[in-house]
Amino acid sequence: MSAALDSLFTAETPEGIALVLRPAGVVARFHAFAIDGAIRLGLMIASSIALGVMGRFGTGVFLIIYFALEWLYPVVFELLPAGATPGKRAMGLRVVMDSGLPVTPAASVVRNLLRVADFMPVLYAFGVVCMGLRADFKRLGDLAAGTLVVYTDAARLHGEQAVVVAWAGRAARLTPARLEELAVLARAVPAGAATGAATTPRLLGVAQWLLGKR
Amino acid sequence: MTPLHFETAYTPLWQELEDVLLRLEGRRKFGLLPRRQAVDAARLASLYRRSCEHLALARARAYPAHLTDRLDALTQRAHQAIYRRQGHGLLDLKQGLLIGLPQAVRAHRAYVAVATAVFALTTLAMGVACYLDPGFSLSLLHADQVRSYGGMYGDDAVAIGREAGGDWQMFGYYIMNNISVAFQCFASGLFLGVGSLFYLAFNGLLGGAVAGYLTARGYGEAFYSFVVTHAAFELTAIVIAGAAGLRIGHSLLAPGRQTRLQALQRAARETSVLLYGVVGMLVIAAALEAFWSSARWVAPAVKYGAGAACWVLVIGYLGWQGRHAR
Repeated sequence: MSAALDSLFTAETPEGIALVLRPAGVVARFHAFAIDGAIRLGLMIASSIALGVMGRFGTGVFLIIYFALEWLYPVVFELLPAGATPGKRAMGLRVVMDSGLPVTPAASVVRNLLRVADFMPVLYAFGVVCMGLRADFKRLGDLAAGTLVVYTDAARLHGEQAVVVAWAGRAARLTPARLEELAVLARAVPAGAATGAATTPRLLGVAQWLLGKR
Repeated sequence: MTPLHFETAYTPLWQELEDVLLRLEGRRKFGLLPRRQAVDAARLASLYRRSCEHLALARARAYPAHLTDRLDALTQRAHQAIYRRQGHGLLDLKQGLLIGLPQAVRAHRAYVAVATAVFALTTLAMGVACYLDPGFSLSLLHADQVRSYGGMYGDDAVAIGREAGGDWQMFGYYIMNNISVAFQCFASGLFLGVGSLFYLAFNGLLGGAVAGYLTARGYGEAFYSFVVTHAAFELTAIVIAGAAGLRIGHSLLAPGRQTRLQALQRAARETSVLLYGVVGMLVIAAALEAFWSSARWVAPAVKYGAGAACWVLVIGYLGWQGRHAR
């Protein structure tokens, strides 16, 4: 879990297991926000057309719907099992607590009310600056509520292992010299390999291990 | 033990855990709410502990990534299922209403006192200033606004009142406008409490200007009989929202023995109860304002009586309800 290089967030469980979460950055969250905005706008236009014929009573109901879409929409969706608004869901995001658990009602309310603070002074400037300054991409509301917006699918960042397995797969087709040449490039992988003559057998052993055979 | 042995030896356990989780999560392809099925909790706990153990082993032995990933995902799901929130919606609501909210308000009494002082003093000062010199209200309000307020409460106002649809329109307007003001009072507290103070003072000045101007013009009775009832809920809610904002700001200014972030998170957690109360009170206020306060066929004396009762009710509720409960 090299926190310095990537933006993974580690949450420790009471059982002493470190769960790895992948926080979502400004761009993904902006896309989710835009999708939600479009959905909200669509609902508002639809309800204004439907309620427009009902006169002042319709205006009253429309204002209540407007209020609900503005403030309750994110809270309600975040508290459903998916833990995300439709926009976040479309982007493969969800809201969780710092502990990796589903978001609690109190935290969801706090983080969504504090959007007002994130919005200031204009167009979510504080929120975007705050996200940019932090490795876990939290906006002010997330900081106060102790929540995190993460990708739902786990990170697949094991390029090193994949490279060694792919190298071993080509063993039959390459000349031993070329194989050795490539293996030397990966000398750092099998510890202590630098002392021996041939790196190939050692790295092939590592590949066997990676395939689960040793 | 090779990773292959490890995998074949424990796959049945992982499979069992996965089956239990599927039943527990009850995820449906369509429909937003899950259909959960009963599972053996003791078995789930023991399977979860085993998968934690296997994950730790797999990581320590640097087993292949596909294996640790699989265990990681499984353990994460089980973790969420075991530590998930198990609320009893209505019971929580009752508990919060009878005990949680009034106790939280009293726990923040210093903040409530400051918020009340700021709001009341600005209202009074502006009210007196505008009463002595009605033109002073123009320093805050636009001339058109002042004229429309005069029209709303003046003798020449349409005395028959609005039709029922108008009541609903105003209800919607009050819900949207007042609750947004309250949320602003709260959220701007994040800026070291300055925002909350500003919005409290600003709303106090506005209210004071309108009240002072109307009293000076001689529309006092129409105005006060209109506002007295719903003000019990509305003004209290705005003050509580401001107090919650002040708490947030204070936690950042003076975090005590915690880090600023810890103090902020704690303040946010503890003030969330206040926010539920604020929303509830503002919905009541909006309903009263739209359907009761605007009813012109009710005599002012009756409205004053109802208003006094509401004030006693609100203050009594916040001050004494849920005292001995633990």
